[in-house]
Amino acid sequence: MSKTVLLADDDQLLASLLNFRLKKGGYVVHHSANGKEVKEYLKNSMPDIIVSDIMMPYCSGIELIDYVRNELKSNTPIIIISSAGNEQNVLTAFELGANDFITKPVSPTELLVRIAREVEK
Amino acid sequence: MSISKTKDLLGQLAQLERTVSEFSFDELSADDAKILKGSFNTFRASLENHIYKPKKGAVVSHAIKASNDENQEISQKQFIAHISHEIRTPLNSIIGFANLLNDEKLTSGQHKKVDAIQFASNTLLKLINEVLDYSKISSGVSNFETVDFNLHSLLKDVMFLCETLIVDRKIELLVEIDDNVPKIIKGDPSKLSQVLLNLLGNSVKFVEQGFIKLEVFSKASYDNHCVLEFSVADTGIGIAKEKIDTIFKRYTQAEANTSSKYGGTGLGLTITKEIIEKLKGDIEIDSTIDSGTTVTFRLPYTIGKNIGFSKISKKPYKNLKGQHLLAGAEIMVFEDNQMNSLLIVEQLTKWGCKVHANVSLTEGLEILGSSNVDLILMDLKMPNQNGFEVSKIIRTHENNKIKSTPIVAFSADFTEKDSIECKTIGINDFLLKPYSLNDLMTTILKNKKSKVELEDFSSILQKPMIKPKETTVVDLNHLLKDCFGEIDMLNELVKLFKLNAIEFIGNVTIHLKTDNLKEIALSAHKLKAGFAMIKADGMRKLIVDIEASCKANKVEKVKELYEVFLIDYPVLEENLTAELTVMNKK
Repeated sequence: MSKTVLLADDDQLLASLLNFRLKKGGYVVHHSANGKEVKEYLKNSMPDIIVSDIMMPYCSGIELIDYVRNELKSNTPIIIISSAGNEQNVLTAFELGANDFITKPVSPTELLVRIAREVEK
Repeated sequence: MSISKTKDLLGQLAQLERTVSEFSFDELSADDAKILKGSFNTFRASLENHIYKPKKGAVVSHAIKASNDENQEISQKQFIAHISHEIRTPLNSIIGFANLLNDEKLTSGQHKKVDAIQFASNTLLKLINEVLDYSKISSGVSNFETVDFNLHSLLKDVMFLCETLIVDRKIELLVEIDDNVPKIIKGDPSKLSQVLLNLLGNSVKFVEQGFIKLEVFSKASYDNHCVLEFSVADTGIGIAKEKIDTIFKRYTQAEANTSSKYGGTGLGLTITKEIIEKLKGDIEIDSTIDSGTTVTFRLPYTIGKNIGFSKISKKPYKNLKGQHLLAGAEIMVFEDNQMNSLLIVEQLTKWGCKVHANVSLTEGLEILGSSNVDLILMDLKMPNQNGFEVSKIIRTHENNKIKSTPIVAFSADFTEKDSIECKTIGINDFLLKPYSLNDLMTTILKNKKSKVELEDFSSILQKPMIKPKETTVVDLNHLLKDCFGEIDMLNELVKLFKLNAIEFIGNVTIHLKTDNLKEIALSAHKLKAGFAMIKADGMRKLIVDIEASCKANKVEKVKELYEVFLIDYPVLEENLTAELTVMNKK
C-alpha cells in the first residue's frame, strides 16, 4: 500500500517538481496551494505525512502544525519547508510539533530521504 | 483587479490629502484661488461622474454625452487613456503567455488553440490601441514624424500583415503600384501603415469571399512633391449610401448590429479620417450594398532622396529567427549619443555579440589591430568626431586587417552628397534611423567579415566566445537530473518558471506605482526558488537584493535593481530557451 503525502506549497514550480519526484518515489500525492484548502482536506482524510511551506496564503505552515496537533489531535509527521534566514520560524515549528524541516532551495532527493525516514518510523 | 485599482486610487487620494494639508493657503493670490477652485470643481465633477455613472457601456455613452460639455470631454479622454493603459498591462501578460506557449512542443490541436488565444488577444490589443490613439489624436498629443522611408517595403509589410489576418477564407489579396510611384518618400511611415491597416483590416473583416485590392498611383507631381492616391477596394458587404456620412463619426458603425457580427469599436474610420486630415489629405468612400466598397485617400508627400544603397529595404529575416547567427560576432560601435549607444550595445549583447563601444579613435584602432572585429557600426554625424573622417582613417590604415573591416554607417538623415562620400570612402552599407531590429540584424549579417556557420546553439554553448553577464547565466543540467532526465518534465518546469517570472514582472509593475514594498518583497521571495532551480545564481542574488531592499524600505534602490532585472531577464530567458532547445535535441 503506497503512502500518501499531503504537499502544501503555493509555489507551482517547486510543487510540480516535488510532485513529480514523490510520484516517482511511489507516493500518492495530494497537492494544495492554499492553507484553507489544506485544512478542509485534513478534516476528512489524514495522509501518512504532511510537507508544508511556511509561507502560504490563508494559513501559514506554522498555523497548520498547530491545527494538526492541537485541533485534529493527530501525530502525523510534518516536514516544514523554510526559507533561509527564517530560523525563528523553524524553532517555532519544532516547538509546535514539526518533525523535521528542509531549507530552500529544496533538493528533491534530500526531501525524499527525509520523508522516507519519517514515514518508516 | 478592480479592488486593487480602487486601493491604488485611494492611496493616491490620501497622498493628495496630505499634500493639501501641508499647503500654505495664506499665500494664495485671488487669481490662483480662482484657478484652484475651477480645477477642484472639474475634478469633483469627473470623480462623481465615474463613481455614480460607471455602469455598463460607460465608454460609449460617455462619449456621446461628453460632446456637450468641454470639461467632461477632457476627463473622458483621460478616462479612456487610463483604462486603456490599465487593460494593456494584463493583456500584455496574456500575449506574453501565449507567445511562450507557442515556443513549447505542442500538439497541432494545442497549437491551434494557442493561435486562437494570440489572435483574440492581439485583436483586443489593437482595439485598445485604437481607443488610446483616438483620444491622443483628438487631444493633439499624437506626434507626427517626417522621415525618409521606403514606400514599397512599407506596402509589402502591410500586405504581409493583412495576409496573416485572413484565416480560412478564400480572399485574394492584390496589390498594384503604378510605375511612377516613388520608392523613397518623406513623411510619417507609421501613420501611413496605420491608415492602410485600418482600411485593409476593415476589408478583411467585411469580405466573406472575393478579393481585396490595394492600388497606389502618383496623382500629381511637381519638383520633388507628389500626391499619392491609395485605394482599397473590396467585395465585401458594402455600406448603404445614406450611412456613408455617418460612419466617420466616432463610435458609430453603419448598422447597430455590425459590431456584434464583425467586431470593432467603430473608431477605425474616425481615426483614419483624422490622421489623413492632419496629414493634409482627403478621403472618400464609394460603396454599393452587397457588392463592395472602395475607399480612396490622397496624401501629399515630398519625394525622398534615393540614397544610392539599394539594400535599405530588404526581405526581413522571419521573426528575427536568424539572430543566433550573430552570436559570437565581434562588433565595434562608434556612436557618441549615450542613449543610442546603450541601446545598440544592449541589443547586440542580447544577440550574443561581443561589443566594443564608447572607444576613442586611438583605442578603436588598437582593438581593430589586436582582435578580430567583424564589423564596425559608424554613426556619421557624431558631435565630437566626424564619422566620415573616422571611416577614412580606417580605410587608409597601413594595417591590412584594420583597413578591410566592413563598415556600416548609420544616420538620421542622409543626403545624396553623403551617399557619394560613403561610396568614395568605401563604407559598405547604410542604415537609416530609425531602423528596425530586422534591418539592423540583416545589415550586420550581410556585411560582417567572418561568416560564423552555426546550425544550432550547441556549438555556441560549448565554446562561449564571450563571458556572459552574471545575471543572465542559467544551467539546466542540475534540474534535468532532478527530473531523472525526463525532458518533458523539464520543459514543463521551465514553462512554469517563465510564467512565474511574468507574474513577478506584473506584480512589481503594479505595486511600484504605490510603493507597496511589502507586496514586492513577497513576490521577490516567491521567485527566488525558481532561480535557484535553474541555477541562475547571479539573478537569484539580484532578487535577494530586491527583497532585502524592500524590507529595508529603500524604494529608490528597489527601482534601480528592478531596472536591472528588466534589462537582464529577457537575456536570461533567451539563454534558458536556447539551452532547453539544445537539451530537447539531444
